[in-house]
Amino acid sequence: MKFKKKRLWGDTPTMKTAYDAVIIGGGLHGLATAYFLSRHHGMQNIAVIEKRYIGFGGAGRNTAIVRANQRTQENLPLYQEALDLWPVLTRELNFNLMFYNCGNLNLAHSEAAIKAMRMNVSAAQFSGVDIRLVDRKECKELIPALDISDKPRYPICGGMFHPAGGILRHDAVVWGLAKGAAKNGVHIFQGTEATGIDVENGRVAAVDTSRGKIRTPRVLNSAGGYSADISYRLLGIKLPISVLTIQAMVTQPLKPLLHHVISSGAYHVYANQTLKGEIATGAHMDPWPNYTTQTTGHYIKHQAEALTEFLPCLKGVKFMRHWAGLADMTPDMAPIMDGNAPVDGYYMDCGWGYFGFKSCAVTGKYMAEFMATGECPDILKPFTLKRFEEHRLMGETAALVQYSADN
Amino acid sequence: MSFTLTCPICGPRNAYEFGYGGEDKGPRPDEKDLSPGDWCDYVHMNRCIAGESKEWWIHRSGCGIWFTTSRDTTCNLEVRGKAEEKDANPPLEKE
Repeated sequence: MKFKKKRLWGDTPTMKTAYDAVIIGGGLHGLATAYFLSRHHGMQNIAVIEKRYIGFGGAGRNTAIVRANQRTQENLPLYQEALDLWPVLTRELNFNLMFYNCGNLNLAHSEAAIKAMRMNVSAAQFSGVDIRLVDRKECKELIPALDISDKPRYPICGGMFHPAGGILRHDAVVWGLAKGAAKNGVHIFQGTEATGIDVENGRVAAVDTSRGKIRTPRVLNSAGGYSADISYRLLGIKLPISVLTIQAMVTQPLKPLLHHVISSGAYHVYANQTLKGEIATGAHMDPWPNYTTQTTGHYIKHQAEALTEFLPCLKGVKFMRHWAGLADMTPDMAPIMDGNAPVDGYYMDCGWGYFGFKSCAVTGKYMAEFMATGECPDILKPFTLKRFEEHRLMGETAALVQYSADN
Repeated sequence: MSFTLTCPICGPRNAYEFGYGGEDKGPRPDEKDLSPGDWCDYVHMNRCIAGESKEWWIHRSGCGIWFTTSRDTTCNLEVRGKAEEKDANPPLEKE
């Protein structure tokens, strides 16, 4: 039988000289925005340009965890809606996104951590998120493999359980959104780099690409880890972002033993068992900004030590693959979504750090509304770039995150 | 992922001896008539260049000196100035 190479999102179309919108970055945020623009706003004349291939960046490198246990009233409704959107999107795209709402368990290893979680839980419950504090015994009931004795260096005191969270197949989201967008007429150009943005009289006029110039009144910068570099290089707009390499890895496949996503701030580890049986785990960020996506042996050792402290049954299990991606971190751990400032027609959706996966669909929905109407939806208003100048940073972290000599 | 940085006092050392101190944004702006925009630019904003970036480092686990150096952020290699390079590795000339 002859093997037929057929992409879900069709063959590469012929590039037109003008589009109603150009989206830089064929990652989840770019594809989601293109999908919602074409489906809900009747804008079908859209080009998505991607320097490598769709899903090359953070879209295919994250650990596929979705949750809505953030801290602030600005962030919580957005992530809650994101959680609600997965089943809807699965039907709408007619594509199995393999959403498995197995729940997230965050471990607390000190009284102080329990107090911080109490605040988190109250804030999240206030926003209608399904979440509760659990004691040590209930942690063990949720994950019987946990060591809740006083043997580990940081014994488990309790935790925060968020049943609505879970995991999702990240590649399926990329393919589903690309397929859905292409079906609605969106043109996806892989291997196409944005090399310049032309501004005429304070308005976006065109995007220069490695395949030629595209005239357009609207551009979205959703280039993930590279969005801050693109913003400065193409438009001279500096962003409050530091780009860091973040690592993850998976073990060999095992029988089901972890029925929930588990994370621990003290050990700096999060882990989940994929539907294939591998334990996917990660969390290490480099101490200085870089774009290398290099992995380190040092971190494999750290991860093995930390995981086997509270999940001793994993001793002797082998890691099979190890990779890294880029996280564009802002000082207040909240994203920057803005548009028409300082350049009309220029929209940005960046600074997602390591929250870009769980937020992609809902962000695409609202960024599409923003781009179609030119009016910023209320839910996105707190995420403006101006907040840094106006000293209205968000309280997602207790202290400002500075990638400086102190950490 | 480690690399070598050149301390102005101790010479080339492992990067883990150093602390990153942010991008080199020039001198701290004068506070007289300083606008919130300019202050924000100095405090928060970065260029995030994927390529050669000039930045501050401190030899934290060494002599403690603060200095600026250039690094290629795509490969984590120090980019040494042209003049410096000439001194360190004089080009081979035909005789």
